[in-house]
Amino acid sequence: MQVVARGLEAIGRAVGNVVGILYQAGRDTIDQVIRNILPFMAFISMVIGIILYTGIGNIIAHTLSPLASNIFGLLLMSVICAIPILSPLLGPGAVIAQVVGTLLGVEIGLGHIPPQYALPALFAINPQVGCDFIPVGLALGEAEPETTEIGVPAVLMSRLITGPLAVVIAYLASFGMYAGH
Amino acid sequence: MEIAARIAEGFIGMFQKGGTTFVGLVTGIIPLLIVLMTAVNALVRLIGPERIDKVAMISSRNVLLRYLVLPFLAVFFLTNPMAYTMGRFLPEKQKPAFYDAAVSFVHPILGLFPHANPGEIFVWAGIAAGITKLGLGLGDLAIRYFLVGLLVIFIRGLVTERITAIMWARRSVPEGQSQGEESTSAAEAAPAVEAGGAAFASGEEA
Repeated sequence: MQVVARGLEAIGRAVGNVVGILYQAGRDTIDQVIRNILPFMAFISMVIGIILYTGIGNIIAHTLSPLASNIFGLLLMSVICAIPILSPLLGPGAVIAQVVGTLLGVEIGLGHIPPQYALPALFAINPQVGCDFIPVGLALGEAEPETTEIGVPAVLMSRLITGPLAVVIAYLASFGMYAGH
Repeated sequence: MEIAARIAEGFIGMFQKGGTTFVGLVTGIIPLLIVLMTAVNALVRLIGPERIDKVAMISSRNVLLRYLVLPFLAVFFLTNPMAYTMGRFLPEKQKPAFYDAAVSFVHPILGLFPHANPGEIFVWAGIAAGITKLGLGLGDLAIRYFLVGLLVIFIRGLVTERITAIMWARRSVPEGQSQGEESTSAAEAAPAVEAGGAAFASGEEA
């Protein structure tokens, strides 16, 4: 009898544990959506609304779209974003990458930029990723102050090479994507 | 009066357009995102961080594991920004390269696993929205973004490791020669530290 009771208790505890984890996962998700995702959607919607309504969209279509519809324009974009002095300034919160990405998305949706350029564009708008966060990121990895002193310029310099390189790789990898369109 | 009414209509119209966009984003992106994120968050919790630590310790030994498998696992299981804590398993000289690889993967992962960095989802979702608008599927773009992302972080790891090694070697050159080198690196580091601090502060707020 005691064995049965103990068995039931163990099962009950295990199930309770799993349900607790699942519930907590849901809570975390909703938390993220409300605190991070929805506010950014509100901000992006406002920007898109203004751009589409006021005709700024036409200006963007005439400047940004030609730049983003060929490999050289995208390379130029990535080189600018990867310049070691600019990249830490463009990085914070990935706000610049998100806004430029959304603008390009609008232009792709309107047919001003061919869809296969979406892949290289994703890398062209983002060679500065994390460049603002290097000292903090290294500190999280328990790096010595010396390592940070060398690591910050090392990563910034490396981006100048790997930023444009990523665009070229993405460009080559985009062949055959949405080909029928 | 007529003109004033026109202006008012135009003013409201601008935000109506934004509102329509907002509804589109909320109904188009959020439902899938919530369910997917819940599933992956549950999986991560069930596996637990201790096991990931063990895998991380093994992964630090080999270059392919270090800049390919470890950044992926770190970003997938610990998400941005805790992923960078995995750097603690690596020797000092490889920490910048690991950081570079890990941080470069927080966006390419978004197409398939948005739980890893939901606060910055629009790097991916912004461009993806255009593809959706054309009536094309996102699967092709998401998987290519993911795979190219893996290749790019591996290359970044290698390049940054190499650059770090060169700079490290130059630093240990006698005092007189390394003076100029140090002052430039300090000048470059200063704005980055400031920007990093600002980003960290705002991250905590959000």
